[in-house]
Order: sequence, then structure tokens, then C-alpha cells
Amino acid sequence: MPMRTPIVEFRNFSFRYKSQSEPTLHDINLTIYKGEKVLILGPSGSGKSTLANCINGLNPFSYDGVITGSCKVAGMETKNASIFALSKVVGTVLQDSDAQFVGLSVGEDIAFALENQSVPRKEMLPKVEWAAGVVGMSDFLMHVPYELSGGQKQKVALAGVLHGDVDLLIFDEPLASLDPMMGMTAVELIDRIHKEQNKTVLIVEHRLEDVLHRSVDRIVLMNEGSIVYDGDPDRLLASDLLTRYGIREPLYIKALQYAGCELSSEQKLADIQTVDLSPFEEQLKKQQMMKLEKYVPRLGEEILKVENVTFAYDKDPVLKNISFSVRKGEKIAVVGKNGAGKSTLAKLLCGIVRPREGRVLINGTDYTQYSIKEIGERIGYVMQNPNQMLVKDIIKDEVELAMLLRGKSRAEIDEAVKKTLKMCGLYPMRNWPVSAVSYGQKKRATIASILVLQPEIIILDEPTAGQDFRHYTEIMEFLDELNREYGITILFVTHDMHLAIQYTDRALVFSEGELVADDSVFRVLSNDEVITKANLKQTSLYTLARRLGFEPEAYIEHFINYERMVRVHGKQAAD
Amino acid sequence: MENKLLINLIPGDTFLHRLTGKTKVRTFIVLLIYLIMSFDLRLILPLFILGIIGLKSLKPAWKTLKYFFIIIVAVNLLNIVLFWLADPDIGAYWCGGDNTVLFKLTDRFYLTAETFWYLMVRFIKMITSFMVSVVFILSITPSELAAGLYSIKVPYKICTIFSLAFRYIPDIGRDFQNIKVSLQTRGVELDPKKASLKDRLKQNVLILIPLIISSFDRVANISNAMDLRGYGRGKTRTYYSEHEELKADKAFKVIYVALLLFCAYWIITHNTMPQDFRMWYPFA
Repeated sequence: MPMRTPIVEFRNFSFRYKSQSEPTLHDINLTIYKGEKVLILGPSGSGKSTLANCINGLNPFSYDGVITGSCKVAGMETKNASIFALSKVVGTVLQDSDAQFVGLSVGEDIAFALENQSVPRKEMLPKVEWAAGVVGMSDFLMHVPYELSGGQKQKVALAGVLHGDVDLLIFDEPLASLDPMMGMTAVELIDRIHKEQNKTVLIVEHRLEDVLHRSVDRIVLMNEGSIVYDGDPDRLLASDLLTRYGIREPLYIKALQYAGCELSSEQKLADIQTVDLSPFEEQLKKQQMMKLEKYVPRLGEEILKVENVTFAYDKDPVLKNISFSVRKGEKIAVVGKNGAGKSTLAKLLCGIVRPREGRVLINGTDYTQYSIKEIGERIGYVMQNPNQMLVKDIIKDEVELAMLLRGKSRAEIDEAVKKTLKMCGLYPMRNWPVSAVSYGQKKRATIASILVLQPEIIILDEPTAGQDFRHYTEIMEFLDELNREYGITILFVTHDMHLAIQYTDRALVFSEGELVADDSVFRVLSNDEVITKANLKQTSLYTLARRLGFEPEAYIEHFINYERMVRVHGKQAAD
Repeated sequence: MENKLLINLIPGDTFLHRLTGKTKVRTFIVLLIYLIMSFDLRLILPLFILGIIGLKSLKPAWKTLKYFFIIIVAVNLLNIVLFWLADPDIGAYWCGGDNTVLFKLTDRFYLTAETFWYLMVRFIKMITSFMVSVVFILSITPSELAAGLYSIKVPYKICTIFSLAFRYIPDIGRDFQNIKVSLQTRGVELDPKKASLKDRLKQNVLILIPLIISSFDRVANISNAMDLRGYGRGKTRTYYSEHEELKADKAFKVIYVALLLFCAYWIITHNTMPQDFRMWYPFA
């Protein structure tokens, strides 16, 4: 084995942000060697981003803090170096692909680091072209950021840190804002750069299954500021650490566990294509034979009907001849790539924009006669980012705003607000300032501010975007309860196929403004044509079913039914 | 939909577009000095004509421009009418003391040839400076503007403000739209037919709160992204958008340097001889 040179070395390292009284990282000992590809895994608040920021110099140079112990990057002791010195060896691609695009064109953004080093333009041009070529953006040098998709912006960000002597690339939650297909492409690109350019790669993520689409050498699992696992992926997948620390397990691992398989690292669990299934075949077949009570959602009468709706902002239609109907109590996933018309549909259902052709019926009445305000009492819309919705200081004020704006009487308002706050579990904190509560609670507050009008349908835009598994589960269980207990119909606009599988019964798939599928989730997810059109991704269940020789559709349906039973009754009862 | 502003982010391909930011910024500044220094129609008129030619050569979107022109012409017409109302004899002071009355409304309000001349020159001067500015704005990209300002020794951190502002204005606009939509569904009434102006203003303040908070988040991210790519490290910086000087840039350099010298001469001679305060008036 060749000598391995360390590129990052943490020794008894701790870091405390100046604004906090407790350290965020405790006693970290970690070595990353040149040429390695390492995944830093952990739930939100586990310190994984803080760790990455200690390597690239944002900590302590941009976010002030106290370091004890030592962290060496390419031989430099970081606390004695500067963010600039570190940026010469460490390239960081941040999570927010939009905000980090500082140039006015692709070429300019890639050149930004070179400009700052006063590289003459003549030398800059070939370097920019080379970097653009590596990430496959050569044809886009003159494009402005508004013309690019999230995935393309991320490629540009990567190209922007690729040149020069950068040895180590850090990707901070690279998948957070991408749809499934773009996410897969990003993982493949990172893998290619790692191999072809001989760079050391650190990926900070909590979406384990998506990252494992391409192999990683090592996984470092963090929890509450400490490293709880540091080793090869197979052993981690065979252990119970993922569940213990709130990381979503890959679906195929879940399926194996449901079938009662004894997992061990010998089966090379990290890759769905090559995992050794031979010891489990019998169990998996037995599991598949098991008769399950078919899950049939209880549905009420039709409350929303969209008939042949076409809409355009100017010339080109954004929605083309869309028809579907929604029954009371349904949970529907609205999926499709960015720009496919999902958010326009949400706006259209709320009456912000109105159909050019066709009709929208709410409880059988054409909604043209209603104002936006009146529609808001029937269909509520919850935005992705709660910070863009919260306008008041106190939770109670936030929730009562919609009632106040409608000039309701004080008694009426108080009653509705109390009821809503109780529904959302916010009653005990009704007088708390909005800024003092957690993200999940903020999300609840925004949902409460919509529910107070007692709409029959709520539309949620990416309700769990950027959330780790624990928060994801918390938000989704809450929404599921609203649906179960109060019969509220929910439309989820989402990229997350796990969410669609676990929490919805039906999927509306959009592509280029057309509704290309309106079917049960398991049928949509086993339809290749629909998956390609909508930039979705085959789940690993599909691959697993294929490898086992099962019909994917039946297999995914069986998995969903089993999962629902486990969620409602627990695993023992399900068996 | 993103680019409703007149500003180009990607350089166009006409003659003026292809100049470097340095040439554009320097020429513009010299022309402004040239315009401000005098009320001499012999100096202003050539630039007025060149302005029209320059504007046509850029092949702008006339539809959007038209409204700007109408507003500017209207405002300046109002301006000269007010000048006239304030003092019908104002031309005499500029054109050498005579009052040649052309026609008379009342004893107080009459039009003299001198006042007419003065106000006409004033009007042409205003329109010309507007046109020169439009040509400048249409021909330059924000990045070239940053590079051009940097070339006249403006610190690059200030130059960056210009390019960054243009980069993020559309993003903030989009956030604003989103927040507006969500508040409208909650019952905020922004329809002018249904809510009074005062109410609408109040409601718009409601939109500003989340907009400011989400913009702060963005600013933190942007500044991190810039730090991580070494922004602010050196005292100097180069610009990707600033291509090498072409023949046209060199020709422009000769012109603007010559013009600047001429301006210096003009300003010195006209300010050291206070007797010759009058403007050029061919009919004196």
C-alpha cells in the first residue's frame, strides 16, 4: 500500500462559536488523506457543516469562535492561516447555488477567484474554458444566472473553485435544492471530478441514499458535535447507528430489514447494484408472499375539479389542458422538474392567476366569482420558506392575521385561533416570539396561519426542503395527523420521492406544462417513461425488485402497504 | 421575465457595445463635463446629433425607451415653462441685455427672443445629457461598469457594489412576488379597486418584513461565497469582462483625451474672464 499523505488532520479539536456558550464541536480526531472521497453524515445541528467550515476557514474567520486543539489543512495550522490562504487549497461549493453565483454570467462567475488573484485576463480565459469544460458548461459561458437551472448553477460553482492548486473540494449539502435527476447527475459529476482530477472530496450531506449512488471511501457520522462513526459504508449500513442518529436509511436497506434479513458488512451493502442478495432471497420472497391488508384511503366527495385548464403568462402556455379532480381527504404529491408548471398550478388554484381556458370548480362552483381572498378561505397555500411567510412578532398574532384582515369579530377570532393553535400543538407557546422557535415550529406556525381560515385544501410547497430526517418526520407526521384527524386535503408540491411514497396516495406528474400522469404513487414510480419525463429517479426499490425478479409495481405497492402498517401499528403487529 | 430593466447583462454586438468598460466610463465622464460646462449651442448641437446616431446604432428596445423619453421631454418642458413664468426676462441676462419682445400676453407675461433662445438651448442641453446617459447605460454591462470605474481608481470594493446589485435585484424581485402571493391568499388586499391607497401602503409594509429577513440570509451566503473565493485578498483585481483594447478603444482614447483638454481650456478661459459670462447668441 502506498504511503498516504494526510490533507486534513484534526487533533483533539474543539470549536465554540462566540455567540454560543457551549462548543459545537467536541474533541474531534479525524484524518483525511489525499485522494480520498469522504461523506460527512449527520442530522441538522450535528456539527457537520461547522466541521467543514473549520476546514475552509469560514470558521473562525467569518464566524468568530474559539478553537482548542489543532486542525491542519495541507500542513497549515488553520487558526494561524487566513481564509484566503486556505481558499488556495480548499474549494468549497456551498448549499445555496443561487446566492453563491456572484458573477453576471457563467464565465464571469467561474473567473471570480482568478479576478481576485489579479490574474491577467489573457491567462484567465483558457483557465475558465478548461474549468467550464470539466463540468460540462462550455456552451453556457455567456449565459446569465437567470437562464440556468439549480443543477447548472451548482456546476458553475464547482467550476469556480476547480482551478489552480485546489486539492480538496468540499460540497456542503450539494443535493438540498436539486430535483432527483439533477441530484443524481451531481453525485455522478462529483465522482468523475474525484477520479479524473485526483482531488480529495468531502461531501457534507444527510441524504445518504442519494450520495451512495456513487461509492464513497469512508463515512464519518456525526452527532451533537462528536464523531460517532468513522469507517467504511458497508459496516455502517449493517449497524443500527443510522436509526439511532436520525439518518434516513436507504429504501432497499429498509426493505431488507422489513423482510427480517440479518444484515452484515460482508454483503457489500453500500451499492444496490452489487449488494449480495443470495443469503436473503428466501426471506424476501416469503415477505413478498405475505398477504397485507390493502391500504384504502377513506375519501369523501369531490371538492375540487380542474377542467381543461390552459394558462400562459404571455405567449407560451405554462399549463396545457390540465384536468384532474380532488376528493376530500386525499393526500396528493404534485411532482415534476423545475419549470414544469407545478408552482404555476399552485398559484392558479389559489386564484393568483386565472385560467385562460377551462374552469376550476370548488365544491361544484366555478371559482371565477371568488376573489383571491375568498379562495383563500377554501384553498390555503403554504410556502416553502417560513421566513418568507411570517410577518408578525408573536405566534398568536401571526395566526390571527388572516382573520383580522377579514374583519371578523374578536370573539370569533379568539375561538378560531385557539382551536387552530391546539390543532398544531402551538397553544402552549402562543405568546412566544416567532424568532425564538425552531424551524419545525415556524413551519407549524405558517401552517396554522393558513388553517385558521378552515380551508378544505392546503397546498404545501416542499414542506420538508432542507430538513434532516428527524425534522422531516416531525413535520410529515403532523401533516398526516391533520389529514387523518381533521380530514384536511393536502397537496404536496415536492421533489422528494420518499415523501411521496410514505405520505401520499396519488401523484400528479407534470412535465413541460402537461399533466403526464395521474395515478397511484407506486404505479408512477414504476413507469420509466413518466420518470424520465418528470426528472424523477428510479427508487432503489425498483432496482431491488428487478434484481430479485419481482414485478416492480407490485413490489413497491407491497412495500408501501407494509410501511404504512409499520407506521400505524409498529413492526411486531405488522408481522 | 427576469430582465425588465433596460440594462444588459451580456454585452451586445454593435460598435459601441464592443468597446471596453474603461473606454465607456471615461468617455461618458468627459462628455458630461463637456455638456455641463457651457450653454453654447455650437458645442451642444453636435453632441445632440451624435447622441441620436449613437442611440440608433445600439438598436435598443424602442418600446421601453419611448416611455422614458416621453417622461423626460415632459418634465423638461414643464421645467422651462416654469423658468419662463418665474422670470420672462431671464434671457436678457444670458444673451446681452436686450429684450426683443416677440409677443405679449399681459404686461407680466411676454416672450422675448432672448428668453426663447436661452430656454431652447437649455432644453436641448437637458435632452442631450439624457440621451448621452441612455447611450451609456444601454451600451454597458454592470460588470463593465465595475471594471470601468476601477480603471479610474475607484476602489474595487465600491465597484463590486454595482455589479452585485444588478446580479441580485431580480432575485429580490422574485422573493417580493412570492411573499406578495402568500399574503394575498391570507387576505391582504392589493387591488386598487378594493383597498384605499393608505391601506395598500400599509399592506406593502407587511411584505417588506419577510423580504428584509430573507435578504439578510442571502447577504450572509453571498459574503461567504465571496470570501471563500478570495475576494478582498489583494489590493488589485482584474476583470474577466474587460477585454483587451481594440482599435476603436484606442481611437476613442485620442478623442476623449483631446476633448478633456479642450474642456480644461474652455473652463479656465471662461472662468478667468468674468466679463464674458454671456452665452453664444447669434442674433445679438
